[in-house]
Amino acid sequence: MDTIAAYLNNMFAALPRTEQTFNLKQDLLANMEEKYHELKKEGKSENEAVGIVISEFGNIDELIDELDLAKGGEDTLLPLLAPEDTWSYTVAKKRAGFMVAVGVMLCMIGPALLMVLVTLAEFGFLRGVLSEDAAGMIGVSILLVLIAFAVGLFIYSSSIMDKYKYLQKGFNLPYFLRTELEQRSRAFTPTYTLSLTLGICLCVVSPVLVIVWAAVSDDTTAYGAAIMLLLIALAVFLFIYYGTIKESFTFLLKEGQYTELSPEKKEEKRIMGSIASIVWPLATCIFLISGFVFQRWDINWVVFPVTGILLGIFGSVYNLVKAR
Amino acid sequence: MISSDVIRGYNDTLILYMLLDGESYGYEISKNIRKLSDEKYIMKETTLYSAFTRLEKNGYIDSFFLDETFGKRRTYYRITPLGLAYYREKCAEWKVTQEVVNKFIKEL
Repeated sequence: MDTIAAYLNNMFAALPRTEQTFNLKQDLLANMEEKYHELKKEGKSENEAVGIVISEFGNIDELIDELDLAKGGEDTLLPLLAPEDTWSYTVAKKRAGFMVAVGVMLCMIGPALLMVLVTLAEFGFLRGVLSEDAAGMIGVSILLVLIAFAVGLFIYSSSIMDKYKYLQKGFNLPYFLRTELEQRSRAFTPTYTLSLTLGICLCVVSPVLVIVWAAVSDDTTAYGAAIMLLLIALAVFLFIYYGTIKESFTFLLKEGQYTELSPEKKEEKRIMGSIASIVWPLATCIFLISGFVFQRWDINWVVFPVTGILLGIFGSVYNLVKAR
Repeated sequence: MISSDVIRGYNDTLILYMLLDGESYGYEISKNIRKLSDEKYIMKETTLYSAFTRLEKNGYIDSFFLDETFGKRRTYYRITPLGLAYYREKCAEWKVTQEVVNKFIKEL
């Protein structure tokens, strides 16, 4: 009996492990086992029965010719994911996601620190330690250092993922890995939902502090704004980190958007990417100039949220116009 | 025993015939073919399943799962109207083939 299963395993070893081949193998095994049991019942010996069953198996090439994998030609060329690659991909993706999330958070903490520092100096809390100008200088320096550190994180995280670029061209996921991934993905869903809910709550609640602070004391709104930025930074961290983990499952299981990126979608991504790469540094320039030249550190941080919203609007308008 | 080369073009017909009376599964079909041919033709496992794949792709048969005892799942097949039409076509073709080949057959 085991000989039959081993024989079949050998025959299917060279075939990609798709759902189709898996089901086919199960069916063939069931048939061969049934035939074996009948032969035994007819009084054949173990060896005879196994011999007959195997001799009547036929030629595996005949079967391969009919299967879609051979027909497509392209499908067989796609790399078959090994378990090690799959799990190392999810681990790398998680690490890269963590780095990007921390980087983005640092980029938001920078302005928050700057605002707090400048406001502290403005109201004389730092008298004797730092002058108002020095506080501004130090704040901006910290901001720039944090941004530099964040950029380092971005570059490092993308270099981690470079190794897995080949996956973008397509791959075949073996059946047993698919089931395990689906299981892990399902197990992760509650965590993901929780992080999403928490992040959205943080975003919604964050302006409340600014409003309350403004009501209590009009002069120190900057503290409220700084805390708002920190809360949003935390929310963004949750979105990016857990979103990336989720994405690793989606990508491997080829669910949703990863089935195939249409040329229009690719074009849109390219255009939005290049516009963002111009607009964000421009916003930073405005932020720095309005701060150093016009001393408006109290309000000029607004350029960042405004830029974000404007980019969002631009994206929607672009899509609308393109759809026409 | 017939060589599989000779009968190749009619494997699909044999299977469709087996499904004329209702749904069936792999081993049952191959067992009945062997019985009906008086043990003269034994369809190989791979021949049977490549035929299933081909017939299903062409829409001549459908497959569905039925749970057997001990929780084992078995794939059953049934013929479609399209499959029935194809079967009739093949029967007509065989009649002509037989007629033609018979003209060249003589007892020596």
